[in-house]
Amino acid sequence: MTLQLRALALVVLSVATPACAARPLEHVFPGPKAALPAMGVIAEDTAPKQDLRMVPPEVYMRTYMQLFGGLVPLDAQKRARGGDGGALFDTWDDYVSALGFPDYRLDVPRQTQTNALMAATFERLGVALCDRALEHDLKPPKGAEAPPLKDRLIFAFDLPAGDLDAHAFAPRFDVLHRTFLGYPAALAPAERGVRFFQLYQDIVAGHAKAAPKSRFSPREAGWAAVCYGLVRHPEFHLY
Amino acid sequence: MPAAFRLPALIATVVVASVPLALDATSAPPPATQRTLEDYRHFRIAAIDLLGRAPTRDELGAFERSDFDMDRWVESHLGGPGYVERLTRIYMDVLRLEPNLLFMNPSWQLYRHDVLGPDGKPVTIYYRENQRRERPDIDGEFCLTPDETGVVIRARQQDFAAKVDPKGKPGKPVVVLGHPVDDATPKKVAQKLLDERTVLVRPWWLYRDYKTRSPAQRYGQDEWKEPDPQYKPVETLLEDAEHHPVLEVRICREEASSGDAGHIYASGRIKAPPKGERLPGGRLRPPPLDRPYATQHQGQEVACDTRSGLDYAMDCGCGVGLERCIPGDNNNGGNAFYYPNHMPLGPGLPLDDARQSSQRWFPYWWSREAVRMLDDLFASDRDFREILTGKRTFVNGPLAQFYRSIQQSNCCGPEASFGMLQESEPLFEPKRVPEDLEPQDVSTWKVVEDRGPHAAGILTTPMFLEKYASARARGAAIYNDFLCKSFIADVQSLEPSKEPNLMVRPGCKTCHATLEPLAAYFARVEPSSFVFLPGAQFPVHSTTCKLDKNGKLNGNCNALYDPAFADAKGATLRSAYGAPEHADATPAGGARDITSSPDFGACAVQRVTSSFLGREITPDDGPLLVSLTDVFVRSGYRMKALVRVLMKSDEYRRSNNVASTTWRSGR
Repeated sequence: MTLQLRALALVVLSVATPACAARPLEHVFPGPKAALPAMGVIAEDTAPKQDLRMVPPEVYMRTYMQLFGGLVPLDAQKRARGGDGGALFDTWDDYVSALGFPDYRLDVPRQTQTNALMAATFERLGVALCDRALEHDLKPPKGAEAPPLKDRLIFAFDLPAGDLDAHAFAPRFDVLHRTFLGYPAALAPAERGVRFFQLYQDIVAGHAKAAPKSRFSPREAGWAAVCYGLVRHPEFHLY
Repeated sequence: MPAAFRLPALIATVVVASVPLALDATSAPPPATQRTLEDYRHFRIAAIDLLGRAPTRDELGAFERSDFDMDRWVESHLGGPGYVERLTRIYMDVLRLEPNLLFMNPSWQLYRHDVLGPDGKPVTIYYRENQRRERPDIDGEFCLTPDETGVVIRARQQDFAAKVDPKGKPGKPVVVLGHPVDDATPKKVAQKLLDERTVLVRPWWLYRDYKTRSPAQRYGQDEWKEPDPQYKPVETLLEDAEHHPVLEVRICREEASSGDAGHIYASGRIKAPPKGERLPGGRLRPPPLDRPYATQHQGQEVACDTRSGLDYAMDCGCGVGLERCIPGDNNNGGNAFYYPNHMPLGPGLPLDDARQSSQRWFPYWWSREAVRMLDDLFASDRDFREILTGKRTFVNGPLAQFYRSIQQSNCCGPEASFGMLQESEPLFEPKRVPEDLEPQDVSTWKVVEDRGPHAAGILTTPMFLEKYASARARGAAIYNDFLCKSFIADVQSLEPSKEPNLMVRPGCKTCHATLEPLAAYFARVEPSSFVFLPGAQFPVHSTTCKLDKNGKLNGNCNALYDPAFADAKGATLRSAYGAPEHADATPAGGARDITSSPDFGACAVQRVTSSFLGREITPDDGPLLVSLTDVFVRSGYRMKALVRVLMKSDEYRRSNNVASTTWRSGR
């Protein structure tokens, strides 16, 4: 079989070679011989387009540390990692390139557009921040009291006893909205408050029947989820 | 929809209700004023640009007061740390002044090795590679021979067993590159021999008062209990293998020489030993032969902090308290100090703290020096042209140590044959280094108003010169970074050519007609180095260096002069052919020429405007750029004037002011 194939290949080659040799030399010109004819003229729109830009990673980090109570990075890392083996946070070194920092040593430029890895990193860091802040602000250790409002990191409001209705939710949501997005919730699109309240209610309801039990109470889990939503909101990362 | 979210009735409810809940706002409810979403967004971007972070609830509270004045707020933060970092970041992103290289020189790098002491315990001995010594069995090598220690000790390699190869000639040691021989049997070294060849020293990295006759202020101890918190030698420099504190270090005797000057030594060896002959002491490579210069200038004085001092003098060492040398904790240089790998928010906010190689020690500080220069430029609102023309810089302890002595170790190799054994016109004159900075003062920075006549802003810093190692790279950097121009070829074909002049060679000339004259400004600064070649010893056109009958330049001429631009009568200094007058103008002249160009101011405005607007500049930004450039130039090239006007412009307010409804409606 192999011999037959070789013989066939030789036949093909012997036929093809003179054909190739007979072909005229091909010239490749550096450009078109003549200008392409114009088919029409349109004005170029060079007006600056409104666009979103990513908050520089330096700003993200400074804001993050500010939200953690003005800690330095290594202390924020320690607090975010916690002592519960929750693996909420690794080390800043693990996130440096994912956050878009440039690396001058390797001439890696600054990232100016978000990407999937970056979004995942924002999520991971945001969840760590919200969970640890919630533990600090709303979930004192057994026998201790929650810190006074002035010492709370993010959840600078009290939680009324009993269920939270939309009226009670709104001003508390506004505190978080101003904290993360920099303006009152009242100036946000109307649906935002509704959606976040719905999220809060869904999480509270879901945790009430969660098995096994979450380390957060249903209400705590509800506020943590609201915090996740804002810390991952595009307006927090873009400006 | 729940009743609570019926807008706009909720606006007032939310604003009023949120204030007392956010207790970090001021205690007395301030008179609030109605702000629009656009106002809030403008405040947020201004905070991001001037504070370096999003505004806090406190700051939002202040912003909402009726007496809040945005212009005054901007003015109060111009020049603040956030603003300075913001502007420095723009130019660090452009220049990328951080090295991806190790800086190592045998003149200052101390290696160390453990030999077997008389009691069978390891004894750590520091040494320099290539140290000249009188005894032929150790000249240019470790100060104990393989015959004496049982191992061949060589810097930057593994240790090798020195034993007889049963298949080879008697006495020839077995060498397995990269792998120590398993059955190596180190020999005990007698105390008498140790004392003869080595001495004990209290070095600078352990003692604050290392310059005194009896140093007593040891790192971390009572006498020096609170060292600079950022000065952290690695544990292996502070403790021995058994975790006992190191009180003094043992070092080869020659390395411990404390004199500033030595004398050129000639051993009388001018011929290599016959091949196969057993070398003295069991050494692997023959003892160094005398160079012609050494033979001709035997006994002549030579500065010990130079490469010549190491190459030619056996009475040159590391100086008082070994202050001209940097320790490493093994035979490959090894680690020396802790400092961060990552600190994007500055050295005060490191992300880690890592054991680092001694060979990264100075590059790390060069980079910090560059950042300090930029920070000062923006914090003091100095004339921005000083980024290229300024004589001023900042040094801390390690940089003072570097500029006082370590920088000299780059010189002189091929320059020696031109009569330059020591840099005669260094870019940073050592005498200008503040005297009261010790190598351990890593957090203390002092201004040096004038580095010397050849200083030219960032261009003559080690960081720039090492990052951009060749004259062309340096020329291209200033063209791109400070004139905002790029090199773009106009033809796509490169035809074979022997034309050495790239300014006329087809296919090359489009770019090189501009690049070569720019590169010529750097012809007097050695490539991959920062040694300055003075015109007196290195004329642009040398008649001493010329092609020989074989059409070649001799070795030392070839290193500094360009054989492509040489003939039987002379040769042109490398990189100078594009514009010989630029070579003599030096980088300082280049800086003057570049900053005199109208493109310089326009380029700075373009970079800052693009960064603050967060997008590329388009042709429609032309009028804005023209007006900003006018403001910038009329202000004397002051960045504050530029940023002040830019932040008040409609373009700045509008640039990032996309209504949230347009991008994430309803969320």
